[in-house]
Amino acid sequence: MACLSTSGRVACVSRRQQTHKFICRLFLNHQLSLRRQSSQLPPAALAAAAQGQCMKKYTNNKPQLVRSFQGLGCGINQDYLSLLQNPHSCSHSSQYSGCLASSIRKHSSVHTQQPAGPVREIQIDPYIILDDELKYFYDDVRDLLQSGTSQPELDTIACYYFDGQGKALRPMVTLLMAKALNYHLNNESHQLVHKQRQIALFSEMVHSASLVHDDVIDQSDFRRGKPSVNALWNHKKVTMAGDYILSIASIMISRLRSDDVTIVLSQILTDLVQGEFMQLGSRETENERFAHYLTKTYRKTASLIANALKATAVIAQADDNVAEVAFQYGRNIGLAFQLVDDMLDFVSSTEQMGKPTAADLKLGLATAPVLFACEKYPELNPMVMRRFSEPGDVERAFELVHKSHGLEQTRFLAKKHCNEAIRLAQELTESPYQKGLQVVADLVINRMK
Amino acid sequence: MQRASVQLIMQQFSRQMRRMPRPQLPQQATPAASQLLPTFTQHRATATSTVSSKQATPPPRHDWNRAVSEAERIVGYPTSFLSLRWLLSDEIANVALHLRKLVGSAHPLMKTAKHLLYNGKNTMQAWGLIVLLVSKAAGHAASIPDAEQDKSAGVLHSQRALAEVTEMIRISHLVHNSVVNLQSSTDAGQDVNTYDDMSFGNKIGLLTGDYLLGHSSAELANLRNQEVVELISSAVRDFSESEFIGERDEQNNPLPFKPGTFQRPSLSVGVDFNEHDVMTPMPIAQVLGNPEQEWECRNILNAGSLLGKSCQASLKLAGQSEEMQRHAYRFGKHLALAWQACLDAESFQCPTLPLDVTFSLVSAPVLFHLEHDPNLYALLEPGKKSVELIDYDRIHKAIVAGPALAKTKALQTKHTAAALNVLQHFPATDARQALENIILAMQDL
Repeated sequence: MACLSTSGRVACVSRRQQTHKFICRLFLNHQLSLRRQSSQLPPAALAAAAQGQCMKKYTNNKPQLVRSFQGLGCGINQDYLSLLQNPHSCSHSSQYSGCLASSIRKHSSVHTQQPAGPVREIQIDPYIILDDELKYFYDDVRDLLQSGTSQPELDTIACYYFDGQGKALRPMVTLLMAKALNYHLNNESHQLVHKQRQIALFSEMVHSASLVHDDVIDQSDFRRGKPSVNALWNHKKVTMAGDYILSIASIMISRLRSDDVTIVLSQILTDLVQGEFMQLGSRETENERFAHYLTKTYRKTASLIANALKATAVIAQADDNVAEVAFQYGRNIGLAFQLVDDMLDFVSSTEQMGKPTAADLKLGLATAPVLFACEKYPELNPMVMRRFSEPGDVERAFELVHKSHGLEQTRFLAKKHCNEAIRLAQELTESPYQKGLQVVADLVINRMK
Repeated sequence: MQRASVQLIMQQFSRQMRRMPRPQLPQQATPAASQLLPTFTQHRATATSTVSSKQATPPPRHDWNRAVSEAERIVGYPTSFLSLRWLLSDEIANVALHLRKLVGSAHPLMKTAKHLLYNGKNTMQAWGLIVLLVSKAAGHAASIPDAEQDKSAGVLHSQRALAEVTEMIRISHLVHNSVVNLQSSTDAGQDVNTYDDMSFGNKIGLLTGDYLLGHSSAELANLRNQEVVELISSAVRDFSESEFIGERDEQNNPLPFKPGTFQRPSLSVGVDFNEHDVMTPMPIAQVLGNPEQEWECRNILNAGSLLGKSCQASLKLAGQSEEMQRHAYRFGKHLALAWQACLDAESFQCPTLPLDVTFSLVSAPVLFHLEHDPNLYALLEPGKKSVELIDYDRIHKAIVAGPALAKTKALQTKHTAAALNVLQHFPATDARQALENIILAMQDL
């Protein structure tokens, strides 16, 4: 364990730097958008507002803020810190620094709210403690897919997204939970871990199959920074390749010979499709809309993680309570993950995400930031109803979301789910993996892509 | 409320479909759609009417509809899963609503939907029925508890669920196969309106197929038999694999290999799946170039695999011996192949090709004729871009004049005989009799 935590620390530093870079970029993006907005307002009014309100709040928050940045810091962000400490002496106009300060405040307010435990002190990198299981993960998926067909083209399409470039979030969380549970139940065995790894394979394969079908549905051209499958191959073949991945994953799971695991995992597939159907048409009233969005998010994203984690508990013969902890942890992580994803769709750039920004709006989807923004700008409501179909809708909605507190509120909601996930993880016996589960919650909220 | 309105929607929907004039479908849709159901459903309606009018004087010895409805009576209520139970689900209500927007568009999904709604019995959609008849014919092990049996019908509840899964998977494959290739290099959907229709149709088709697959895997999981899950999942795999074999046009319609591509001694026996490992794919490379065996492989993947494996899985559920399971698989496989041969032959029964009818370019008569006269390939070559560009009348004329039709008939007889032979391993019951009647009626179609 000592060696685990040491290696964990090394990796953690690099990851921290990444987190740090992410925050810096968040700043920049936000700053730019604020600047864009400010150009549309009379400068005098804005300057006054900035001086009067933001600066006051900023001063109140200042000590805490600086602390939190130093806590993160490796010194990359010196100029920002200096800006922070001497807002008036810097070369920018006071209007500009006012906006900057307010944006710092908004984002830092999230970062300064620490969850229940001292998560930041946990020096564990989940990817490193799972290295044994994850090292050949994608090779194993590709081998599996290759063994099921004699047709090279089918093999190529099916393996296309298993290039190792993904985050492998689902298998990582699944395996962390599996190992944390094994520790908790005190029945770790090589055989059991192998079975749980198959469940992790299943989760990633089902995810990829859904991506493949989504690509045909959405007609998108890029995914993960490369051409999407539908841009490269016949759509009929792509559809069949999706079915193929699913069938191979089902064969693999059936070979675990556990009725209950198969039942838990088959729930994922029905949820996924129902989520897609929910996304097709929404004619709900404003009150129902948020609930509809959350249910859809659960079915499309969280159900996969929640049920995969539950399956690892079921195959380890955990009792219902423990299985429920695993399920709820996965559900919360999944919801938080998707909420952050919906938020990043508005703030991060194309290179970071590997797909165009505001993609959801362009597809006519109203995600959490928009729904939150509706409260402040009711003019968004008709746009949501017509699925941003009229010219200029997407741009206008994008702008209003940034003007409102939609993004902060989304992040806050995601944070709440992460904190709940951390609380659930703490119900398990302490182990590096159990700590890893808490770190994951932190990674999810702070990720940049 | 939504549920209550489902039936209304479906009725309305079907009325609209009926009103939709068939010949006025935009020209573009026809080739893609006609290749849409390459297995069992090809232009059944048109061709059947031609055949029956020709044979009007001596009435057929075995009546297909009677054979099927008697069979349905034997295993209880009609099994086609397009039943009330299906119509009562919210998602399908949703699909029906969306499908309505597609009525009148050229998307092949409409044609698939129409086939599923109207040609049910004629086109042997009732695969579930076959599975149930085989189940009843074989009976079940004494160890099966009473609560799991449907005493009046003589099958297990789990077998009925499996029969439903079989139909769901088959329909999901047909529906997924009606997705249109919209890649920028193709002609499909060049103008904006058509493109939007096609893209929306693709979306609905994909989701509907996924819905069926998702539900079938949930139903399968509830059977609590992992060997069955494994077997049926591998049939899904076979379906998707079948769409990758050989050359394809832009809409993924299959084309035969150029004669002389493969130089192999023909095997005396055809190939089949590895009995001990369902993961191993069909070794189709061994038989490419040999018309009969290539045809057999293509159609096992495309049809025989699901029917055979479902029959086998059904006997697994009943606790039957490995040997009986093997017989069940072979029965399903041969029945599917016999049926396919019958369909393949049908387009060539009359001396001229009926208007608006096409045939699959990998159907048995085409493959047999290519072996007989490799020059036919010159006529098929334009099909590499799109099978629309082929002069079907000329090919039809050439094939009708050659020996291919007789060979196809022999192929059908061979698989019919094989199916009837396997059936002798089952005890003589009304269910076995019903299966025999269906096979005999099929021969007379």
